[in-house]
Amino acid sequence: MKTDFQTIILKLQEFWSLQGCVILQPYDAEVGAGTFHPATTLKALGPKSWRAAYVQPSRRPGDGRYGENPNRLYRHHQYQVILKPSPIDVQDIYLESLRHIGLDPILHDVRFVEDDWESPTLGAAGLGWEVWAGGQEVTQFTYFQQVGGFPCNPVSAELTYGLERLIMTLQGIENVYDLTWNDPNGPSPMTYGDVAQQMEREFSAFSFEYLDAPMIFRHFEDAESMCTLLIHKQLVLPAYEHCLKASHLFNLLDARGVLSVTERANFIGRVRALARQCCELWMENSHG
Amino acid sequence: MAEWLFEILSEEIPSRMQKGAMEQLKTLAETHLQEAGLSFTQVRTFVTPRRLTLVVDDLPLQTADRLEEKKGPRLDAPQTAIDGFLKTVGITRDECEVLDTPKGKFLCVTKKERGQPTQEILPRIAVSILESFRWPKSMRWGDLSVSWVRPLRGFVNVFEGNVVPFSYAGLIASNTTQGHRFLAPKTFTVTNFQDYAEKLRRHFVILDWQERRNLIQQGILDVAKDLKPLEDEALLDEVTGLVEWPVSLKGKVDAHFMNLPREVITTPMRVHQRYFPLLDSSENLAPFFGVIANVETPDHGRTIVTGNERVLRARLADAQFFWKQDQKLPLDHFNVSLKTRLFHQQLGSLFEKVERLVKLSSKIAQKVGADSSVVTRAALLCKADLASQMVNEFPELQGIMGRYYAQNQGESPETARAIEEHYWPKVSGGAIPDATPSLILAMADRLDTLIGFFAIGISPTGSKDPFALRRAGLGLIALSLNSYFSLPMTELLSWAYDGYPWSELSPSLLKNKEEAISDVWKFLLERFKFFLRDGQGSPYDHVDAVIGVAHTNPTFLDLVLRVKTLDQLMDGKDGQNLLTAYKRASNILKIEEEKDKKHYEGQVSADHLTSSEEKALFANLSEKSPLIQEFIAKGNFVQAVQDLATLRPFVDQFFDKVIVNTEEVPLRQNRLHLLAFLRKTLHQVADFSKLEG
Repeated sequence: MKTDFQTIILKLQEFWSLQGCVILQPYDAEVGAGTFHPATTLKALGPKSWRAAYVQPSRRPGDGRYGENPNRLYRHHQYQVILKPSPIDVQDIYLESLRHIGLDPILHDVRFVEDDWESPTLGAAGLGWEVWAGGQEVTQFTYFQQVGGFPCNPVSAELTYGLERLIMTLQGIENVYDLTWNDPNGPSPMTYGDVAQQMEREFSAFSFEYLDAPMIFRHFEDAESMCTLLIHKQLVLPAYEHCLKASHLFNLLDARGVLSVTERANFIGRVRALARQCCELWMENSHG
Repeated sequence: MAEWLFEILSEEIPSRMQKGAMEQLKTLAETHLQEAGLSFTQVRTFVTPRRLTLVVDDLPLQTADRLEEKKGPRLDAPQTAIDGFLKTVGITRDECEVLDTPKGKFLCVTKKERGQPTQEILPRIAVSILESFRWPKSMRWGDLSVSWVRPLRGFVNVFEGNVVPFSYAGLIASNTTQGHRFLAPKTFTVTNFQDYAEKLRRHFVILDWQERRNLIQQGILDVAKDLKPLEDEALLDEVTGLVEWPVSLKGKVDAHFMNLPREVITTPMRVHQRYFPLLDSSENLAPFFGVIANVETPDHGRTIVTGNERVLRARLADAQFFWKQDQKLPLDHFNVSLKTRLFHQQLGSLFEKVERLVKLSSKIAQKVGADSSVVTRAALLCKADLASQMVNEFPELQGIMGRYYAQNQGESPETARAIEEHYWPKVSGGAIPDATPSLILAMADRLDTLIGFFAIGISPTGSKDPFALRRAGLGLIALSLNSYFSLPMTELLSWAYDGYPWSELSPSLLKNKEEAISDVWKFLLERFKFFLRDGQGSPYDHVDAVIGVAHTNPTFLDLVLRVKTLDQLMDGKDGQNLLTAYKRASNILKIEEEKDKKHYEGQVSADHLTSSEEKALFANLSEKSPLIQEFIAKGNFVQAVQDLATLRPFVDQFFDKVIVNTEEVPLRQNRLHLLAFLRKTLHQVADFSKLEG
């Protein structure tokens, strides 16, 4: 069975498509995780049913390692699934998806290990597990209990596959840059390194060395004001996008190491306030 | 007599909650059965990651009949009232009995409440258990309004071999359940507990927690062969809650990681991966680990071992990188980063705390005559590793990395050791350091934390203790009981208070020194009660009694010795009799002092002693009282209590033979003084009024 990066993504798309999910594209702004995509954060609120799945490139500036660490990435890829309300057999469906991509739960000793999820910037929290395959965490499995400070009713199940880790387990390799991205026996085989290593090098240098902190502080302020203005204008989606921008700018400042502990808490609070207002607006207009 | 089997099948229950859940299920079942009037011989509960099971033996098939008497209106009540009563109870006037009472004649009916079949009661009990169960953290799922630790997936509810259905959370109870999630996913039916447990085993589930734990322990020993696992009970418990079918495997650690410090290798193994580190015969870490899988696989675990080895390699590669990075600059350098890390918003940065610790620990060192250069150096470096990459990644290694880094840069062994040990005791009841510099620094750290938070009005309330002040308090008490030095707490707290630059910090609320110290001291005494109850089993009232008479500035060592001797005294007949005597004496005194509007101090006049018993008591009190006082002052509580115990026969005889409230006023007053003398003597050892007997 083929285990290259893009085949696994295609198989997951196929699998979740058959589960009735809307297959979406990644959100086209920098985010730290698939959860931040409005298709998860906002759609998890309100009464309406919703099923979606998508790949989300996720930026964690603090994890940048100049393309030199075999496991840590400035930008990794998550495969995100949201099922609302959570189906009673969601665990079984999830395990079926693993079999579909060629990961035998018995052979890899798949386990559900307690791990409650929390996003302080989104004011979101849920209970669930990290799913282990051969001791490696390959998925975060969460039942959303609240988002933006609002209780979720009905409750959504969120499945976040860490694609790099998952596929490294499938391919049995130790260095992310050795992952085969497309068919290794095809006419133009590419590895993960071929596709992504330059980005890792350059963005690490950007965020650790050349990032202009005062400028990013200004950008943060701008994003924050824009978000607030848009909330007043009742434009929830653009407002939320500026909340996402603020969140990413905060991540950049955090990675640059220019925030003291108090400032850090303060910035998280400011992003959370924006997220809460966006969620509130979303709820008021019952878009859910 | 019949058996009730109730299984709650759910998605994976967090390991740390499983044992508590097992106990709670037992208690809830017992309570509900008793409330329903159902007798039983035994209640057993079981837990695995996916199920909570209850089995009750020897329940009756139905509850006993109950007679209930319903009283109606008086015979001469208005007809409407009588009709109303007859209607409610559903009988005619002729079927009514008449109850003759002192208040008149009343209509009455005795209704027989028929016993209920047990199988009708059990579903109600099952639902009540589900509704009243309390998890440390619970959740909702789907569009249901119920909550549980994770989503519920099914119920087995079988009584006497038959299904007793009920529905809850959209699920209907049946006699069907599932075995192992992967190895035997098909459902099967059960008829009773024995059948259930056997079938589970055939479906790859070991139901009994202790059995699984034993299997894991043995399994690790088996794969370890000539090696042995590092002792770790908590890890064994945790892993027991992660598997239904434990299978032990052995993995390898790459040789080039083995030069890392032992804790750096074992922390990711134990904490992150739940592996069992293995030791060789000379107690050195071997390049292997044991791991417990939840499955038997066609490749005999090869994929699992390879996967786990790969994960460990990645983690150790990180650790190796941090080990090198962290040591590129001297440890002192990390203190720079501590300047921007807050200890608490109103109490300054971690570096400022370090500066206070340097001064405070040096002061304590001088007081106890220890080498203050070691202590101050250790204090300066004790928090530095918090800014290291290794501790950032593995917070469990705080202190430990500090010790290694200090050793490697040539600090003295005592300094390095104090850096690690100033975090001890790590858990309640954990080891305290056995070196003076470590002890001093550990105490200084907690003194600084406690006085700081209490001074700005932050103290634990109810279940809220975000700064772990209770743990700090208990730690400080344990440290105070070391075998090297013993210092009065209030003086230390005063130094700690003075160490803060309060005018610079200008917190929004600041207690003055006396108030802050008194608050911490009261808090510590409360902790002290817990400490002694859990440690040496001293009842709270003994601690209260000792604290009641302790001089103003006692050390904890002093208090512990006093409580211990009081424990011994009260264990025996001497103590109990003295307490009875004390209570009689103080009761009499209380009443008579009120009557006489005067306080009896104990000035006995020998001339007014008439009976031989009171003479004997007075003679003995006069002899022993000063001796007891002297022993107490010298800290010889054992001797003081022994002397106190010798008074007992004289006290007993006095109360047997002597009447205090005699008609003759001078005699009566003198006897009251004698009682007051007894009270005073007893109070030298403990405040007996606080004792519950």
